[in-house]
Amino acid sequence: MSHEVNMHGQSEVITTHEVHHDEHHGHHHKETFITKYIFSQDHKMIAKQFLVTGIIWAIIGGLFSVLFRLQLGFPNETFPFLETILGKWAEGGKLNPEFYYALTTMHGTVLVFFVLTAGLSGTFSNFLIPLQVGARDMASPFMNMLSFWFFFAASIIMIASLFVQTGPASGGWTSYPPLSALGDASEGSKIGMDLWLIAMALFVVNSLLGSLNYISTILNMRTKGMSMTRVPLTIWALLFTAVLGVLSFPVLLSGFILLLFDRHAGTSFYLSDIFLASTQKALPNEGGSAILYQHLFWFLGHPEVYIIILPTMGLVSDVMSANARKPIFGYMAMVGSMFAIAVLAFLVWAHHMFVTGLNPFLGAFFVLLTLLIAVPSAIKVFNWLTTLWKGNLRFTPGMLFSIGFVSLFISGGLTGIFLGNSTLDIHLHDTYFVIAHFHIVMGVSAFFGMFAGLYHWFPKMFGRFMNNTLAYIHFWITLVGAYLIFWPMHYQGLAGVPRRYLDFSGWASFNQFDGLNRFISIVTIIVFAVQLLFVFNFFYSMFKGRRVRTQNPWGATSLEWTTPINPGHGNWEGEIPEVHRWAYDYGKDGREFIPQTEPVGANETPEGKH
Amino acid sequence: MDNHSNSSEITFHHEFDREAGRKEVVKVTVILSVITLIELALGFWLISLEGDFFRLLVKGVICVLMLAKAFYIVAYFMHLKHEIRAMIMTIVVPLLLFIWFIVAFLYDGNSYKNLKNTYDPYHYEQSQIKVEKTEHAPAHGAEEHKDAKKEGTME
Amino acid sequence: MAQAVPAEQKWWSGGKSPFNVEYGKLMMWYFLMSDAFTFGAFLISYGTIRFSSNSWPDPNEVFQSFPGLGSGLPLMFVSLMTFILIISSVTMVLAVQAGHAMDKKGVVRNLVLTIIGGIAFLSCQAWEWTHMFHEGAWWGSNPFLNIDGTKASTNFTNFFFTITGFHGFHVFSGVIINIIMLIMTLNNVFEQRGHYLMIEKAGLYWHFVDLVWVFVFTVFYLV
Repeated sequence: MSHEVNMHGQSEVITTHEVHHDEHHGHHHKETFITKYIFSQDHKMIAKQFLVTGIIWAIIGGLFSVLFRLQLGFPNETFPFLETILGKWAEGGKLNPEFYYALTTMHGTVLVFFVLTAGLSGTFSNFLIPLQVGARDMASPFMNMLSFWFFFAASIIMIASLFVQTGPASGGWTSYPPLSALGDASEGSKIGMDLWLIAMALFVVNSLLGSLNYISTILNMRTKGMSMTRVPLTIWALLFTAVLGVLSFPVLLSGFILLLFDRHAGTSFYLSDIFLASTQKALPNEGGSAILYQHLFWFLGHPEVYIIILPTMGLVSDVMSANARKPIFGYMAMVGSMFAIAVLAFLVWAHHMFVTGLNPFLGAFFVLLTLLIAVPSAIKVFNWLTTLWKGNLRFTPGMLFSIGFVSLFISGGLTGIFLGNSTLDIHLHDTYFVIAHFHIVMGVSAFFGMFAGLYHWFPKMFGRFMNNTLAYIHFWITLVGAYLIFWPMHYQGLAGVPRRYLDFSGWASFNQFDGLNRFISIVTIIVFAVQLLFVFNFFYSMFKGRRVRTQNPWGATSLEWTTPINPGHGNWEGEIPEVHRWAYDYGKDGREFIPQTEPVGANETPEGKH
Repeated sequence: MDNHSNSSEITFHHEFDREAGRKEVVKVTVILSVITLIELALGFWLISLEGDFFRLLVKGVICVLMLAKAFYIVAYFMHLKHEIRAMIMTIVVPLLLFIWFIVAFLYDGNSYKNLKNTYDPYHYEQSQIKVEKTEHAPAHGAEEHKDAKKEGTME
Repeated sequence: MAQAVPAEQKWWSGGKSPFNVEYGKLMMWYFLMSDAFTFGAFLISYGTIRFSSNSWPDPNEVFQSFPGLGSGLPLMFVSLMTFILIISSVTMVLAVQAGHAMDKKGVVRNLVLTIIGGIAFLSCQAWEWTHMFHEGAWWGSNPFLNIDGTKASTNFTNFFFTITGFHGFHVFSGVIINIIMLIMTLNNVFEQRGHYLMIEKAGLYWHFVDLVWVFVFTVFYLV
């Protein structure tokens, strides 16, 4: 065996980008409306498609929460307009209990998967990965397009499930069997549940196609000089997100396939010893284990919360560093802690199951592993705070939302330490304490990260700025509102108020919270209205906003700001720039910022950070 | 070699030696066949083997052989051994997640059995009743299931 | 065929593929990782249910028939299936190697053999399923007793049909992919492209199917 090395000279090494996207070089090729806006293979357009679909879903999902908050805040009132809109689901102006469960189920499903997974990482992975690593497009633009259309199909089916006779799935966003496995168990367990499962299966395909593309692009298509220690933290975050998706979604798919068999093929993977009240029959199913489904679900479900929060951690790091005019503090520590979070994500799933019949001894290991997550999370928080420390802060809307993100991440993260203990969970499980915890730490803070990213990269997406006044109103009301909604829920939870209940008037001990519930509901409506203000600002600015006049409006270092103001398909005219430094050279050698493309000068302070 | 140059993402090309490749394939085929034959022999031995400990031991050996086969298929047939080390790592390291995946699931499955046997004595008694063996034992579940279908209880 | 790459090469500095492979191969590998977790979840679920049952059917009593030879022959038929799959994996490697050497004839010959192997395996599986169906086994119906003579739950057959069915579906799609590769080869698509890297990716998928069978074979038929 000879090992002759066939080495091309350096000059002959053609980079990946030129090869695949020669046809996109310059943008003279003809584009029809359909290829440009609908079946587009341009990563920037696909990102916008994800974004707009995500916004529509966010409005729907948010509206659901307003509807059930009306019931929780005003259990004794009737709202005749509800009957006008919802018909038999709100007879006499009061929510039907079945429909209440459907609303909470769909609120969770829509926001967790369709908004904060597809809408968030679908948007920013597609938009930022090629721009920030210096590629003309994704590794496979065609698969990227397919990814969106699978998401779109999933969306259509999920929407359709809202309109079937028996209503959408109503067994909670986790769809635990036996409720989800037996059509007779409840209205929402019939066709609505099947549509839910089909939509989610399509969603898994969307996630897989997207994630494979993101990973391959980040690893294989970085421009010259862009080593992995020079990429912005956003890219690291999106890489870990994609890895989590590739490894955890298939487990969910397996769980769903077994569930479908239980529903339609008479199997008993998850079923055993069941007597169904609605039909007054004992079922023949034996030998299954409902806990198995919970394990399979949470093996995805836990990584899923990091799929939601990791991208925003990356976005916030970049927005914060650019607007504090300071290098990010502890770049490698940030990468390391994100890696640690990604690994731990797969080791802690059963902390969602402490009181469902999980072996308590096994639970002890899950407690230990869960509490370990506090370490990398704390490292990240300290690094953000030290990045802000003595920075020359510019309070742009993006920056404000970044700071809000850190605030919420701390508040929500601390309660996670309570809930990670299996003993405390005996009291706290299924109460409003849990609701408060996960809404603050992954719901609202992920939204804050997403808003930070949107305000910051809007000029790059559409060549216009968003309106600042509206943005400030949006920020302050949302921040204060988020705390006003979720902070009181901690007290309710500690007092034992259970989640997923339609009406608490039967419990004298919970009557003291009537006023509080009304308050929370009113704030919810206000905050929801302000989100509509954001949506207005978004679409208005898209067409009428102040134009971006300079290539680099924020004075940022990373590569996406070296493209033309309205980049065509292919991103850069001419050669893709070469990268000579990391993305965080702010406030160096008396200069405000130094772009990544600038060669390291002879007298420059050596790079200490990597 | 020149005919490879179309794929420019590959910076360096293997000097491809077809004869050596063929030899490697033959070697791996022989190894895989031999391991499979050993597995089958152990499988036959298991049929008549008495004693829980020895049965468990033989099953353990079979699982180790299974992993050996998996290694040969991935390393040689799928060519992973000849890739760059970093790439091997990106594939092998995530597979380590399977360890905790398997341990936690099986441990909890076993615990579920013990819980049921302890707290549901009726379940335990039922599971100890021996059924008369016939050529084709009556299909348990099948008939009851058909009943259930008739009543329209299943979706 | 050791690595013909100098160690000091700066792979990660961008501008070139750090793994020295095209993106398609990288994607195929990571897709297979993902699929490994799908199958892993199935097999681990099977293990979990088996661990939570007091007893379980004996595979040597369930799988003891051979077409034409009657019953009482445990492990014989599945050995045949296993060897068919191993041999088809070998011919697939040979097809990939022929592709590296730009030997169109070799690619065609070995691909045809692989496709025949795949169809043979599927036929075996079809026979086994039919045979078991006639014994009364199906999803939700299990005629077999536990090894200790007690009544078994239906989960033995539930998992058997689900997992071998999912594996069979992969074999089927692998055969389809190989047929497409064969047609493309015969139409000189790869000849004109100057490389047979597509065959390599199809090969990875095919070997993965073989790999999964190693696990299915062990946990369902042996232990």
